[in-house]
Amino acid sequence: MGVFGLLLVLIVVISAVFAPIFATHNPFSMDIANRLAGPSLEHFFGTDQLGRDTYTRVLYGGRVALKVAAVGVSASLIIGLTLGMIAGYGPQWLDNLLLLLFDAVRSFPTIVLALAAVALLGPSLSLVMTIVIITSIPGYARLARTSTLALKNTEFILAERSLGASMKRILTIHIMPNVIGPLLILAAMDVPVVVTIEAGLSFLGLGVQPPTASWGTILNEGYLIIRTTPWIVIAGGIPLILTTLGFTFLGESLRDVFDPRLRKGR
Amino acid sequence: MTTLLNVKNLNVDFRTPLGRVHALRDINFKITKGKIVGVVGESGSGKSTVIWALTQLLAKNGVVESGTATFEDIDLLQAGKNEIMGVRGEKISMVFQDPMTSQSPVLTYEQQMKDILYRKSNLSKDQKKQKAIDMMARVGIPDPESRIKQYPHQFSGGMRQRAGIAMSMLMDPSLLIADEPTTALDVTMEAQIIHLIRELQKETETTIIVVSHNLGLIAELCDEVIIMYAGEIVETGDVEDIYYNPGHPYTKALLECDPARELEDTRKLSVIPGDIPDLHVKPKGCVFASRCKFSGEKCHTKKPVNVEVSNATHVAKCHLLNPEFSELAAEINLKTQESSNKIEKRYMRTSDKSFLEVNNINVQFPLMGKVSAMIKGIKKRHVNAVIDASLKIEQGETLGLVGESGSGKTTLGRAILGLVKTKSGTANFEGVDLCTLPDNAFKPLRREMAMMFQDPVGSLSPRQTVRSLLTEPFKIHNISIDLDEEAKRLCDIVRLPENFLSRYPHELSGGQARRVGVARALSLNPKLIIADEPTAGLDVSVQGEILNLMNELQDEHGITYLIISHNLPVVRHISDKLAIMYLGRLVETGESTHIFKRPAHPYTEALVTGIPQPDPRKRRRLLSIEGEIPSLTNRPSGCEFHNRCKYAQEKCKNVTPKSQTLTDGRQVLCHFPLET
Amino acid sequence: MLIVFLAILALFITLHSIPGDPISIALGPRATPEIQAEYAARMHLDKPLYHQFVIFIGNVIKGDLGNDLFSNRAVLAILAEQLPFTIILAITAIGWSALIGIPLGCLSAIKPNSILDRVTGILSVGTIAIPSFLVSIWAILVFSIGLKWLPVIGAGEPGDIGDQIYHLILPAFAVGLGWVGYLARMVRASMLEVMSENYIRSANAFGLRGRTIIFRYALKVAILPTITLIGVGFGALLSGTVFAEIIFSRPGIGKIIYNMVLARNFPVIQGAVLVTIGMYVIVTLIADLIVSWLDPRVRDTL
Repeated sequence: MGVFGLLLVLIVVISAVFAPIFATHNPFSMDIANRLAGPSLEHFFGTDQLGRDTYTRVLYGGRVALKVAAVGVSASLIIGLTLGMIAGYGPQWLDNLLLLLFDAVRSFPTIVLALAAVALLGPSLSLVMTIVIITSIPGYARLARTSTLALKNTEFILAERSLGASMKRILTIHIMPNVIGPLLILAAMDVPVVVTIEAGLSFLGLGVQPPTASWGTILNEGYLIIRTTPWIVIAGGIPLILTTLGFTFLGESLRDVFDPRLRKGR
Repeated sequence: MTTLLNVKNLNVDFRTPLGRVHALRDINFKITKGKIVGVVGESGSGKSTVIWALTQLLAKNGVVESGTATFEDIDLLQAGKNEIMGVRGEKISMVFQDPMTSQSPVLTYEQQMKDILYRKSNLSKDQKKQKAIDMMARVGIPDPESRIKQYPHQFSGGMRQRAGIAMSMLMDPSLLIADEPTTALDVTMEAQIIHLIRELQKETETTIIVVSHNLGLIAELCDEVIIMYAGEIVETGDVEDIYYNPGHPYTKALLECDPARELEDTRKLSVIPGDIPDLHVKPKGCVFASRCKFSGEKCHTKKPVNVEVSNATHVAKCHLLNPEFSELAAEINLKTQESSNKIEKRYMRTSDKSFLEVNNINVQFPLMGKVSAMIKGIKKRHVNAVIDASLKIEQGETLGLVGESGSGKTTLGRAILGLVKTKSGTANFEGVDLCTLPDNAFKPLRREMAMMFQDPVGSLSPRQTVRSLLTEPFKIHNISIDLDEEAKRLCDIVRLPENFLSRYPHELSGGQARRVGVARALSLNPKLIIADEPTAGLDVSVQGEILNLMNELQDEHGITYLIISHNLPVVRHISDKLAIMYLGRLVETGESTHIFKRPAHPYTEALVTGIPQPDPRKRRRLLSIEGEIPSLTNRPSGCEFHNRCKYAQEKCKNVTPKSQTLTDGRQVLCHFPLET
Repeated sequence: MLIVFLAILALFITLHSIPGDPISIALGPRATPEIQAEYAARMHLDKPLYHQFVIFIGNVIKGDLGNDLFSNRAVLAILAEQLPFTIILAITAIGWSALIGIPLGCLSAIKPNSILDRVTGILSVGTIAIPSFLVSIWAILVFSIGLKWLPVIGAGEPGDIGDQIYHLILPAFAVGLGWVGYLARMVRASMLEVMSENYIRSANAFGLRGRTIIFRYALKVAILPTITLIGVGFGALLSGTVFAEIIFSRPGIGKIIYNMVLARNFPVIQGAVLVTIGMYVIVTLIADLIVSWLDPRVRDTL
């Protein structure tokens, strides 16, 4: 299962990064005469209502998705890790405060938050990214916090303290390596979530703005003309599924890899 | 004298990724109706595997290769699903080791007991409930009508085990199997449970099998004994025969190693060197040969058979007992002169300055935040873990800090090392007060003091190699020194082979991990080592290893030890002084021989007499102590021991005693000490 | 409770720190100064910020969430109309996914590594991965347009239960599909962990019947984290519901917020977000209550 996932992930990543090479057309060039055509050798997925090649747009849409995923996930991971470790290891009042913050953010349905934010500030990709990061941080932070708390009271941390190790040393050398494992798995599982949020928001017109291609916007356009041609909706959806499935499978098998190794040890 | 259970030729394997482990080989034994039979063995002996095999409850990778277990005309090993379910709980019932985890946490005792009684369809629900209440009363649980509606987490440890026994007796089983029934309990509770089991057996005449590694427990309870080693039965017989005339070298060695048996104070404990053989391979010859003091060539090549020792019921599997091999026996007997185990203690007082002086340390832990307490209207939101503790240790001495759960001994140890904040009091280490020392001033002192932790593997960082762990102290204190040399030196001191340096903690056995702990504690040449439960989890035959090592190091380097333990027999042998704790207070401190021979505090007396003696002729008729250890949040008034004290008087209920000094220098916290 | 307060405070502050003058945004550039002044007075915009907040809270408690900017109807009334649709959709979605997911997870745990287990495993991961709005779109493609079995738009004729149910099928399916897999996996993992506990071994040793053990001893404990998770995941459920409402053009809180966002109708947005927070809090509270009812250990700490 993991290998399958890895394969999917690679397909998606490579096709996105090397989109210009794989593309058959310019994503923005319109060919009105040929609009709403079905799949053909010239246009693998057909054309949309403005005559643009769907296949190409899908490839470029991958770039958007990848960008959001890369930036979003790494930012949330790093910030979440730090905050979580501080919450777990630091003084009680700080822990309570941070926990309150995390829960408050987590309790919001992302979409509602996004809608409200867009109402205030207008739609844009950066807004989507910020929202994504803010709503992802609590997930990582909570995980980091739980692991840190569990480790804080183990005997080996106590042993380190008895030897005179400083807090900084304990956090960086002893706690972080043990905490980061589950976070990486969460990251792998988080990519599909992040990509989905971006696609969803763009679908609603709240994120990426036309004429930039994003899987969400492609789906949006496709949905509006769904009775005329189903192909755009299908084409927009496939890469989304491939990405989410790929990363999810990958994440699942990563989890299996980590667990038995830890269990064998004890 | 009918035979209730007859096991013949039982062989059990476990399938593991590394191949088959031959856990049980050629097991044969008979259980006579109405007797209490003890199965003695250390870890890896297979004693638990036998009982799980009997009720078809082996782990999924367990395979019964061959054998029969005849019980009331059924072969338990071959029985079909319905048959075996009919036997379980009804004819054969079990008492488990850890009452905490072996009872469902989300169901009331009433529900759990009703479930067990489901087979008695002729009883109404109320009748079942009544039966359950009656049984709870029988096992000594007060107020059973209301307590039966409670959940396991609302019972204390001892009560839970009583409830567990009640559950097992509900269906009047013919055979009761008790798997380490007292291992998870405190000494004083253990005595009560032993008493309970004996009483129940007299009343119901149930046949009981007790599985344990605790020789004292077996001597107290059992009529017959089976000794197991590494998957085989090496000796069986009546309890007196086994304890007074052991035939098998393993039995002899095991008895020797038990610190409770040795009445003289010896500083060096007996050990059985080596480890149990790898059971992936079926051993040729005698399974104990590789560790046996007396082994000869034949022992390694030919499997021994059962030979009579004292009488027809007492047999052991050993070549040396076999009259055919008399020359072999004679040749080996010459080797066995025991060297005296008594070692003179050498005090190394380098100065008259006090080494470690603890005065009136108090440690408190908050139970809840200030706000929650205010909301709930609770005034006392702290629990006092340690109260007014004062100790003195001279350099080069070993002090044993003894107490049961909740006594505060671990907390006190950690407080001295500054790992736990003290509310008040001082701990003077060579004149410097540790409690008020700021962190950066403490750091250099940490080189002089070290701690050995209870959980050997858990106290080592899982991602560091042994080499990295051993050299960590040097890195923390920025000592520039050849780290590799140091690592090797430390390995040598604790007699750990050098190739262990590249291993990770999860690849070490318990004993090996402990040695790494010792090595790490020694790395900076400390003057004081605080050892928290150094023998916890170790088999009796190997616990001496670590203690003897500690002793040697003390003789060579003059290290002072503070040993924290609940295991009184062990501590007594290696300590010069003892300090007994109860509910956070030190109730008696002084020389260990005095304390042991003539305890002054009633609690100490209860502890000392509460240890089950590995001597069947020394069975206790009366209980040394009743009741449970009170919760730290619900302390009794006056002298906190008064509600369990045999000698308590009116004054004890109301007035907290002050520390008294006896003629031999001991300190006792009692109004009416037993000695002066 | 503190969380709710914090959230409302945050919302309020953000709303009032938008760049631009709220009056002209709300009323447009053509409003005369008199209208502007009147609006300002009505909305208390002349008073300092914290005073406005206090007024706001006071109004909320009274049940007055302000009025729709355009139609001037009470926000509360508008929301009250829309809320039932959202709740029905959410409950139906969770309902059917739990009915299928939990037993599947249970069965997988009882017979681990069987065919059922593996198939369930892959399907679970699959359904978790697919975004719910995509499911909605494709479901429409297949069932409404392709096969013409089910309707696309709306919630059905009011008063006609059958028609309403007819319109509920597709959206509930789309929203719930991801949950089936999620619940199945959660229950499976939880059950496996519980089954390896000592007290299950004891129950076996006492000869209790298999079914008793599974339901009363194992499932009762295993289900606890699942319930907590449903409570916590309600936020995600609402997200899915919002998408479904928009795609299927169903009335509901989500649809309202969406429409109002584009129109910048702040009072409604404010009120709707408030209601959402309220729902989330109530659901988590219910989940906690259920857990403590089932688990006596938690009960004691409350």
